Amino acid sequence: MTNRRAQSLWFWLFAGPAVAGFAAFSLWPMLESLWLSFCQYEVVTPPRFIGVQNYAYLFAHDASFWPSVKVTLVFTVIQLPLAIGAALALALLLNQPVRGRGFWRAVYFLPSILPQAVFAVVFGYIFQADGGLLNRLLALGGLHGAAWTTSPTWALPVLIGISLWGFGYPMVIFLGGLQNVPRELYEAAHIDGAGAWARFRHVTLPLISPVIFFNVVMGVIGALKVFDLAYAFSVAQAQPAPGGPARATLFYGLNLYQQAFGYFHMGLASAMAWLLFACILLITAVNFRVGRRWVHYGD
Amino acid sequence: MPLRQREPLLWLTVVLLAVTGFWWAGRSREPRPAPGRTVISWYVITSPLRDLYTAEVAAFEKLHPGTEVRIFWVPGSEYNVKLKTLAAAHQLPDLFFSGDVWLSYLRPFSRDLTPLVQRDAAEFGLDDYFPAIRRAMQLDGKDYILPEYLNLSLLYYNRRMFAAAGLSEPAADWTWDDLVRAGQALTREGKDGSPPVWGCSRVEGWWGEWLIYVRQAGGKAFSPDGRRCLLDSPAAITGLKFYLEKSSRYHLSAPAGFEPLNGFVNQRVAMIVGGHVNYWLNYNQTPGLDWDVQLLPAGPASRSGGELAIAGYSISRESRHPEEAWALAKFLTRPEAIAAIVARGSLSVRRSVAEAALRQPGPRANPHNLAAAYRQFEFGEPIPHHPNYVEIMFLVVQPEIDRMLLGELSPAEAGRRAAAAANAFLDTFGSAAP
Repeated sequence: MTNRRAQSLWFWLFAGPAVAGFAAFSLWPMLESLWLSFCQYEVVTPPRFIGVQNYAYLFAHDASFWPSVKVTLVFTVIQLPLAIGAALALALLLNQPVRGRGFWRAVYFLPSILPQAVFAVVFGYIFQADGGLLNRLLALGGLHGAAWTTSPTWALPVLIGISLWGFGYPMVIFLGGLQNVPRELYEAAHIDGAGAWARFRHVTLPLISPVIFFNVVMGVIGALKVFDLAYAFSVAQAQPAPGGPARATLFYGLNLYQQAFGYFHMGLASAMAWLLFACILLITAVNFRVGRRWVHYGD
Repeated sequence: MPLRQREPLLWLTVVLLAVTGFWWAGRSREPRPAPGRTVISWYVITSPLRDLYTAEVAAFEKLHPGTEVRIFWVPGSEYNVKLKTLAAAHQLPDLFFSGDVWLSYLRPFSRDLTPLVQRDAAEFGLDDYFPAIRRAMQLDGKDYILPEYLNLSLLYYNRRMFAAAGLSEPAADWTWDDLVRAGQALTREGKDGSPPVWGCSRVEGWWGEWLIYVRQAGGKAFSPDGRRCLLDSPAAITGLKFYLEKSSRYHLSAPAGFEPLNGFVNQRVAMIVGGHVNYWLNYNQTPGLDWDVQLLPAGPASRSGGELAIAGYSISRESRHPEEAWALAKFLTRPEAIAAIVARGSLSVRRSVAEAALRQPGPRANPHNLAAAYRQFEFGEPIPHHPNYVEIMFLVVQPEIDRMLLGELSPAEAGRRAAAAANAFLDTFGSAAP
């Protein structure tokens, strides 16, 4: 056996199961869903090819499609900068040489261990309009609290606030990036008379820009795919149908799930899934394109 | 041994390992049936009646030694998803829990029970079902469900709160005006940190309450053929207006979004319009809650309009043992079985059981006014039998009703927008009432 053949054999021996798993459980279902997106398929009857009607219906007639797009985009545009900013701010604080730094890092990371669904339930009780903790506290001060979780005005901002508790992972990545910034650069900048802000602006930010870029890309993808938080929030609020009130928390992922498993419009849901996939692909490509201008890889 | 010679052996090992893994993962975990016994599967929603059902199955198996019943308990929130997934995989259970609300979309995989019902009508007492129940059992004149219990919209009220306010209890001839007057008298503003108490609850987020008012005002959600949504009719808008004004004008219900959680059980709400018979068991287990029921207050056009829905058993179209499944369905819905469920706190689908409950001497558990509950049968209406009913109501109509409650839309605008969106859905999908 040639060396090349032996290498190939060992490669397939180790990579084979993963490749087979990917092909069977990811690639094939994806291709199947692409086909289904051009079919009317209600699960209990065989798929029927209908061309682009699912896509046309989503764009032109579906009462819930555009509202769910809007909710998801608003969430992404507001939540992402807040989440990145909060994670970076905390990483900067936790990068300071203070006593018990390891302890504080662990404490601030702890909330991220919990699933988002837990936050949705716990904060759901805190923000409950009638008898919720927040409104009780406000009442003590003579203030009348809002219907935080049951008003379309407040429900999404509350969800954005709840989602920020998942800052732990980007924070840890920022910490890793900050620890890779050479000390000498700070010392040189300091000697040149740069203040704290100038050092942050001209040393820290450029050197951690790949890390910021990574967190932005992953954050955008995560925000566009939000599901568990919104679903658990609906369940915690005992909403008869997820996404209320008045579609204020009807995220794209939640809407897709409802179409697929609530109403079994698998064809329509497949079309939604492919639109989301295309959208994420496009935004990520744009991110990489724009990233070339501000991400410094040190080469 | 050189690698070249070992190569086939390695590949063989990999393939064997993969095949063994797939076999192990996919092997059936079901125990084999005893020789000569037929196994039937029964999917049922997890409920407080679990002990009752388990005992019933044991009794059935004793009576039918050739049949073994395997019960699969499924949480209510996952039930429909599970059932449809099983249908897609052609793995449906022989017998499953069904209801007239779901029947229009469960029908493709539900067996037509008409021949069995006609064959055994005398044996299981078809005439014993209330006429309203008998109507709900059928779709297009065919039988698909053998009913076990029902839900009926009623007026629920807290007797202690009425007594404390010096009010006489609701009467059978109440109208919306009486509901408003009593509700206003029972409402207490929250002061000094104490929470408010509301005269009447308002069910938000689904059609449970507002559809009653729409119908009682003379409106309908859909045309009889199911092709048009009629929520923009003047009568329907009158119903929606009353639903809105319970809080915005009359102040007998909490503002939108402020409905107390479990308000009736926590005695923060004195009355419920609609409610659910399923909650009777909880009400009776709540210390200090003295409750009763009355006919729904009449609207400007009619007293009818409350929901009458049945739940029971359907047999899978693909069942290989329909006779055994049918025997189990009959056993679970025989008068003695229904009486056992009713004794836990429920209404009966069978006349004989209802009459026995009404004749029962001595103090009765709540509700005291059981006769009113059975009289409400006359005024109950099924929800429209439309395959997309639930979807249209939740996805298309309800958001407009939510916006009305929040003051963003007037009742007329909400009705118009809801009807337009529902009709666009119907035009696209072309569904009609089956």
